[in-house]
Amino acid sequence: MNEILSLFDTQLFTTTIDFSTPIVLAAIGGVLCERGGIVNIGLEGFMNFSAFFAVVGTIATGNPWIGLVSGVIAGMIFSLIHGFATIHLHLDHVVSGAVINILSAGLTQYLLLIIYHTAGQTASVPLSLHDMKYAIPILSSIPYVGEIFFNQTPIVYIMMISVVIFTIFLNRTKLGLHLKVSGEHPMALETLGISVFKMRYLGVILSGLLCGLAGSYLSIETGSSYSENMTSGRGFIALAAVIAGRWSPIGALVASVVFGFINALQYKLQIIPALKFFPTEIFSALPYILSILAIAFAVKKSRPPKASGEDFIVERID
Amino acid sequence: MKNLTTFLINLLSAIIITLGVILYLSSHFIGLPMLIVGIGFIYLIQYKNNKKKAIQSLKSLGKALFIPFIGLVVSLIIVSIILISTGYNPLMTLKTLIYGGFIKSWHSTVLNATPLIFTGLAIGFAFNAGLFNIGAQGQYYVGTAVATAIGIYLPMPSIILIVIAYVVSMLLSASYNIIPAYLKIKTGAHEVITTMMFAQIASSLSGWWVNLMGGEDPVHKYKTDKISTDAWLMKLKDLVPLDHINYRLNVGILVAILTAFVCYFILYKTTLGFKIRAVGHNKDGAKAQGIKVNKIIFVTLLISGALAGMSGVTQVLGLEHRMTYDLSSSYGWDGISVALLASGNPIGIIFSAFLWGGIDSGGQYLERVTDIHKSIVEIMKGLILFFVVARYIYLYINTKFGITKKLFKNISHSHTP
Repeated sequence: MNEILSLFDTQLFTTTIDFSTPIVLAAIGGVLCERGGIVNIGLEGFMNFSAFFAVVGTIATGNPWIGLVSGVIAGMIFSLIHGFATIHLHLDHVVSGAVINILSAGLTQYLLLIIYHTAGQTASVPLSLHDMKYAIPILSSIPYVGEIFFNQTPIVYIMMISVVIFTIFLNRTKLGLHLKVSGEHPMALETLGISVFKMRYLGVILSGLLCGLAGSYLSIETGSSYSENMTSGRGFIALAAVIAGRWSPIGALVASVVFGFINALQYKLQIIPALKFFPTEIFSALPYILSILAIAFAVKKSRPPKASGEDFIVERID
Repeated sequence: MKNLTTFLINLLSAIIITLGVILYLSSHFIGLPMLIVGIGFIYLIQYKNNKKKAIQSLKSLGKALFIPFIGLVVSLIIVSIILISTGYNPLMTLKTLIYGGFIKSWHSTVLNATPLIFTGLAIGFAFNAGLFNIGAQGQYYVGTAVATAIGIYLPMPSIILIVIAYVVSMLLSASYNIIPAYLKIKTGAHEVITTMMFAQIASSLSGWWVNLMGGEDPVHKYKTDKISTDAWLMKLKDLVPLDHINYRLNVGILVAILTAFVCYFILYKTTLGFKIRAVGHNKDGAKAQGIKVNKIIFVTLLISGALAGMSGVTQVLGLEHRMTYDLSSSYGWDGISVALLASGNPIGIIFSAFLWGGIDSGGQYLERVTDIHKSIVEIMKGLILFFVVARYIYLYINTKFGITKKLFKNISHSHTP
């Protein structure tokens, strides 16, 4: 019994947050994108690309904040390719996302060589955002909870704030409502004289921004360098979180934290002697198995945005 | 009498084509002209009395190849710009790449193309029903693991063993797709996410599978034991009594090409194929015609899984003879590009698989003889894919700037899968 209780120490929860932060950010990006009507399986590619540029920015200037900005901008620029391909070029959204993922892997591999003349991994950044850990004065002294939530690194705080901001954005602002309509009934929006194209671009760019944060988190906050394939399927778990969270930022937060928790737990379970009988690989498959279960049980009740994934062509007379 | 001559000529050209294919694939380039002559004969017989039809079929072929060709050219131009801006000579580089991929290291192109044809077919077959089996990598792992297990532990005579390996691996890798297929038809969960998750599960578990089959061996860590030689596929070297055939080339490539033709037959000449394409084209229309859409989706995903599994089996029985714990192997992912390039057409997939395999082996050759890293080919692959798949871009440029009035008139709005 003690063994089980000892699992649930603060470390478990800090690792949970560690694992879930990039997934939460990417999932909110996915939510915004799909609410605007664009299916985005390129989250993985956006994250990979911005993880690389966050490191480039940090190494070039020595300042991780500039690295973060360059990572986010890279993510947004890269997301424009997806936006352009799906909105203006009327390419199938899933196909475009797949192409984005392939393109992102190739580009980063080549740029890695051109800029740093090494394959596989960059050098470590001189200063990472992890060194910017900030304890919020009074809150962090709350026992247990304070250590977990209020003694964190910058992007974790940004993640917490962005959940709130984007929930308000989607439900309480005019722009957010327009974004939602462009994913539900684009023709209605167009009749009002509001451009569906612009709204959809907005969704895609916001997802690029959030994936930029997620990618930067991986490379210059928890890690200190970029290595090939470092996103390792997180973008797809984020997609599962979008569905399991029923296309809302709060839902995405909950789903991602559950995935993060399971992932943190499986590392702990691996070292329990009683469970030594199972091969460790089964534990590392746990989060994926869980996300399938989540999808299996969540999807029936949740409904995707009606026009999500649908092409929008409008004949203008001007 | 006339029928008999036609039959004889057809038979003759079939023999010439088969011989040509085998020779060509085993690095004897005399096979290529033989192949072309054989196809020419069949073409002549087919359209002997109907010139109009002959021209028509050539035209439609040209139309189908037009966009891929333009895409290839545009992406090569962009790659050249990238090469110039990073200080390399683009003409020399591309020449080396093509020489390496399609002449010098042709055998490794063939070896690369074999699994890619299968995974490309797996994904392309599903495209025809409007499905995107993005997790072919997972089914590939299952196929490899099962084939290895059978090859190591089942003592059987050669032919039977190979057949059993194929059948069982195909069944199991098809059933690896049962849950995604079931979720798709029961809850509407998108197959992209579910098959992707299953691929991640398989790639997590593959290390364990390797360990189970002798991966603990300190010398061959991350590799299983070798399968028994009875399970090996025949080498092309033993099939054709000629010199200079690379010892690694095997009949797997012939199986792959044959499978592509079988897929073509299923899709375009059978009722099942018609139903699959109907579902892909318009689900509601298909339903109105009395086609059981859910059943078709289920069956298509299972067939797709089996095809991806075949890729794994062929790779184990033909080339590697063991399973390797190799997370960077990416036949499942590259299969996506191969299938997209060919817009899901089984015959087209053969060619795009060879293109991809050739670019890969050309990249390796390039890295050996020059100081350019092979990752340039990754960019090249991405760009080719983008400029072929996003075919609407040419129409967009055209309407925006009006460069060419006639050229791009025929591009439709329709999407790839």
